[in-house]
Amino acid sequence: MNAKPKLLTVLDVVAGAMFVAAVALVFFYAPLERVMGLVQKVFYFHVASAWIGMLAFAVAAFYGVLYLVKKDERYDRVELAAVEIGIVFALITIVTGSIWARPIWNAWWTWDPRLTTATVMELVYFAYLMLRSGIEEPERRARFGAVYAIIGFLSVPLTFFSIRLFRTIHPVVIGSNDPGAEGAFDMTQKMTQTFMFSLLTFTVGFVTLLWHRVRLGVLSDKVEQLKLKLQS
Amino acid sequence: MEGPANTLSYFIAGYGVIFGVLAFYIGSLIVRWRNLKQDEAMLTELEKKEQTE
Amino acid sequence: MSGFAPFMRALSAVVWKDLRAEWRSRELLSAMLVFALLVILIFNFALELESTVRANVTAGVLWVTFTFAGQLGLNRSMAVEKDRGCLDGLLLAPVDRAAIYLGKTLANWVFMLLVAVIVLPIYSVLYNTNLFIPGLLLTILLGSEGYVAVGTLLSSMAVQARTRDILLPILLFPVAIPVVVAAVKATGGYLQGLDITEIQPWLNLLLTYDVVFTAVAFMVFDSVVEE
Repeated sequence: MNAKPKLLTVLDVVAGAMFVAAVALVFFYAPLERVMGLVQKVFYFHVASAWIGMLAFAVAAFYGVLYLVKKDERYDRVELAAVEIGIVFALITIVTGSIWARPIWNAWWTWDPRLTTATVMELVYFAYLMLRSGIEEPERRARFGAVYAIIGFLSVPLTFFSIRLFRTIHPVVIGSNDPGAEGAFDMTQKMTQTFMFSLLTFTVGFVTLLWHRVRLGVLSDKVEQLKLKLQS
Repeated sequence: MEGPANTLSYFIAGYGVIFGVLAFYIGSLIVRWRNLKQDEAMLTELEKKEQTE
Repeated sequence: MSGFAPFMRALSAVVWKDLRAEWRSRELLSAMLVFALLVILIFNFALELESTVRANVTAGVLWVTFTFAGQLGLNRSMAVEKDRGCLDGLLLAPVDRAAIYLGKTLANWVFMLLVAVIVLPIYSVLYNTNLFIPGLLLTILLGSEGYVAVGTLLSSMAVQARTRDILLPILLFPVAIPVVVAAVKATGGYLQGLDITEIQPWLNLLLTYDVVFTAVAFMVFDSVVEE
C-alpha cells in the first residue's frame, strides 16, 4: 500500500466541506414545512441515504458481474466495500424514516410495503456478509459473493414496484403524488435546491467512503498474505 | 390553520441518528485501518528478522 | 460439448437420476410431506383457523408451508449430492453445467409440486375450503418455479460453506420474498374470488421473477460449482 493518493485527500476535503454546507442548508436555508414542522427536514438526508443505499447495492451488483467475467480480486474488493457502505446508508434510511413516521403516521413502524422491502433489502445484505464469513477460501468467497450480490440486487427493484402495486401511505417524492399518501408535501424552490444539494453531497461522500473502504480491503489482503508467508 | 406542529425532538433524533451512524462507520474504518497498519508493521518486522537469521 | 441434443440428454439424465433415487428411498419426499403437515397443524393451533379467519389467512398458511417444505427439500437434495461425492462426479462428467443446474431445478420443482398435490386436498378436506381453482393451481406452478430456480442456485452455494445447514434459509428467504409475496397475493385473490384485473399484476410479477431468476441462475451457476 503506497501513500494516500492526492486526489483522495482532495475528495476528503470536498466531501467534508459539502457535508457541512448541506447540513447548514438543511438547518438554516430550507423553509419550515407548514404542517409537519421541523421533522420534515429529516427528509433531505433520509432520501439522500436511500439513494446512496440503492446506488451502493447497484455498484456491488455491477462489480459482481465484472468479477465473474474477469475473475480479478480488485473487483471483489469494490463489491464488498459497496455492500458494507450500502448497509450503513440503508440503516440510516430505515431509522430516520421510522423517526419521521412517529409524529406523522403516529407509529414508529407500519408494515408499509416501502418500509418492509427496505428492511428485506437490509436482510439480503446481512445474509451476504454471513455467506462470505462462512467460506474460508478467498477465491470461492469472492465467486459466491459476486453471485449473491447479483441475485440480491434483483430483489431490490421490488422496492420500487411495490409502491405502485400496493396502496401505500408512503409518500412518493419523485413522480406523481398519490393523494392517499400521508405526509406528502409540495416542494418549494428552496426545498428543491436543498434536496438536490443533499443528493450531490451524499454521492460525493459515497465515492470518498468507497475509496477508503477499498484501500482498507487492499491493506487487509496484504496483511493476510504476509501472515500466510510467515506461517509457511 | 395552526402553525407547524412542534416536532423539534424528532428532528434532533433524526439528525442525531444520521450523524451518529456516519461517525460510527467512519470511526470503524479508522480503527480497522490502524489495527491493520500495526499488524502490517509487526509482520514485516518478523519477516526481516527471519531473513537475517 | 455443445449443441441442443446433448444438452437435453444431460438434462433429462440429471432429472431421471434424482427422480429415480427418490422413488427408491422416498426419504426426501416423505420428510417434506410430514414437515408440511406439521406446519399446517402448528398454524392451526397458533392461529385458531376458524372459518371466519381462515379465508384471509389460507393463502399465507399455504405458502409458508410450501416455502418451508421446499427449503427442506432443496437443502437435502444438494447435501446428499455433496456428501456422497455425486456433485463432484457430476461436475467431472463432460456435460454442460447449465444442464446440471436445470436438471436439479426441474427435479426440485417436481418434488415441491408433489408436496402441493398432496397438501392441497388434505387442506381442503381439513378446513372445508375448495382450493381447486385453476388460477390458484397456476399460481402454485409459477410460484414454486421461481422459488426452486433461485433456491437450487443458493443451495449449491450453501452446501459448500462451513455453516451450510443454517445458511440456506438465511440466503434464500430474503431473496425469495418477491416471489412469495406475489404468490400469496395472487392465491389470496383467487380464494376471495377477486376480479382477474386485480390478480393480473401479481401474476405478471411472478412471471417476471420466474424468468429473471431462472435466466440469471442459469448463467451464473457455472461460477458456483467451478473448482
